Amino acid sequence: MSADLELTLTHDGNDWVGRNADLGIHVKGESLGALDAALMARLAAMPEWAGRRVTVAMRFDNATIPTWIRQYAAHYFNRLVELDLRAEAASHA
Amino acid sequence: MTSAGESVSRKWYSGMLKTEDWWAVWLGLALFLAGLGTIWGVDIVGWMTKLKTWEFTQVMNDLSWSKLMKASGKAYAGWHPLASLFMTWLVFTALTTLGAWFMGLNVTRFFLGWTVIFFLTWALWIIGHEAHFKAHKTAESITAAQVWGDDIYCLTKVNKCSKELKAALKDMGADPLKPTPEQAAAAVEKAKHAVRLSWGLQLGGGFSFMLALAVGLIIGNFIKPVAEFLKEAAKPEWFIKTAIVYLGIKLGHLSLKSSSFTFELLLAGAAATFVAYLLFWPIVYWLGRKPFRLPRDASAVLASGISICGVSAAIATAGAIRAKPVLATVVSMLIVIFAMLELIVLPGFYTAAFPDQPIVNGAALGMTVKTDGADAAAGAILEELMKARHYQETGQLWGAGILESAIVTKIWIDVFIGVWAFVLAIMWMKYVERTPGQPRVGASEIWFRFPKFVIGYFIAWFTYLAIALFWPELGKAADAGAKIVQSPMRKMMFMLTFVAIGVITDFSKLKGMGRLAVLYAIALFLIIAPIALVVAYIFHRGMMPLPAGG
Repeated sequence: MSADLELTLTHDGNDWVGRNADLGIHVKGESLGALDAALMARLAAMPEWAGRRVTVAMRFDNATIPTWIRQYAAHYFNRLVELDLRAEAASHA
Repeated sequence: MTSAGESVSRKWYSGMLKTEDWWAVWLGLALFLAGLGTIWGVDIVGWMTKLKTWEFTQVMNDLSWSKLMKASGKAYAGWHPLASLFMTWLVFTALTTLGAWFMGLNVTRFFLGWTVIFFLTWALWIIGHEAHFKAHKTAESITAAQVWGDDIYCLTKVNKCSKELKAALKDMGADPLKPTPEQAAAAVEKAKHAVRLSWGLQLGGGFSFMLALAVGLIIGNFIKPVAEFLKEAAKPEWFIKTAIVYLGIKLGHLSLKSSSFTFELLLAGAAATFVAYLLFWPIVYWLGRKPFRLPRDASAVLASGISICGVSAAIATAGAIRAKPVLATVVSMLIVIFAMLELIVLPGFYTAAFPDQPIVNGAALGMTVKTDGADAAAGAILEELMKARHYQETGQLWGAGILESAIVTKIWIDVFIGVWAFVLAIMWMKYVERTPGQPRVGASEIWFRFPKFVIGYFIAWFTYLAIALFWPELGKAADAGAKIVQSPMRKMMFMLTFVAIGVITDFSKLKGMGRLAVLYAIALFLIIAPIALVVAYIFHRGMMPLPAGG
């Protein structure tokens, strides 16, 4: 399944962090739910995404897992979430 | 406007050139297939160095590399031993460095670290082959010490020494079954591989393994700058998974010798693993949640790590339940360090406590030791210790079976990691983290978590079995190459694993782990190990290794 938007997912010790440097997106949340909410708010403020239904792929950045562990497991997890920004746009209107 | 619209799902072939798991398959199968060249009369692997058992004073009196090692294949018999060792280094360095390049490792650091580990491993392996450490007493010294004396050790396989002694007695015109002490003494002088030693540990290959582990641990814990330098190349999981692919040949051979034993081993291993899964996980999860009051995610990750398959399971579970990655990292540290403790303690303990249950002990190790490297390493030590003890007590040699039981059980555990991660992810999202809009979990998770080296293991096993069953006339020719891959190459990968696993283990990391470390220790030694032993006993009792050469 393809996505409209891709973010790199990491965890900084306190928060989950979603990032897409090309699009200037950098959002945080203590839980994945909070991260999704922060992302919805950020996208709603961006004209190119506001009012749309957006599929977001979040790929966990395996480079943040210590090298010595990567020999045991090469993959952590990825997420595919659908964010409905139409309601968000309506509430801002 | 869209960002990169690439699928979040990975392709089924993702990682084939980028993960150690797949590189164990490539490295294993490349040399396995090269070994099959002997079917067409081409020995492509005979350059591999094979060590000899040597005696210190003999070598000091007449210093010669040929007393320590030689090329494995007859076609390479004229090679200088050091040329054979150089070729061994060259081939394995080329293959592993290629893998390191594809996996994105620092190739220069890998090459330097690998070269140091390689030659350190061989130096330790040569020391481990000294007769006082390795050689077994001859059967004559064990069963008829009053005639032969109890100090005759054998520098090769003990049945070969017995043949040499009998041949020497026949040459002298003496009765091979009832020699006088004088005739026996003369026969010992004549036999090429029999020596008299004032003492001997009789540890077989076990001494080399323990020495390699001890030196690795000393580097990892006391010479940390060197450990740091070697870390890029210290890949015990890669080395052991490659060795396990080579071990597939041995299982093929074992299947031919005794299909019922192999089938029983597989079936009992699968049943024991299934039972163990159902017992270990809920007990450890409950321990974490109730007495230790750990959060749900920490309890689940720890339960999977300690119950299923160590680091891979901890990471698979942490990923499945979307836990913070630091949790998987901390649990992984615990697993690796405790696996080392298990490797040091359990083989000796099982040998001493249950000397009559070799296959039960092997299976119990497979269920208890939580990394592939440490499990195979512990299985190898257990096999050497148990064989040596049995031989010393009875004069009878056990053949294969103990290491295989440790590995078959562990492979079953590995195979089901993906299934467990998949089930857990669904259960977690359905019953624990019931947040609306959670992404679906794909069944592809099972494939991505599947240990790929197992594919290489089965290919080697079934290819060898098929040759022997369908083209028996090729069996002997195939054996010539397969033996080199299965024995000296596999053992070298085991030795590299012992050094590497020691180098990456730093016991000081246990500091500050608090309740998690205490829970891990309690769960491992008071719950997992005893239950594993009982379950292994239920499913494997009565099974014994095949007789050597039988």
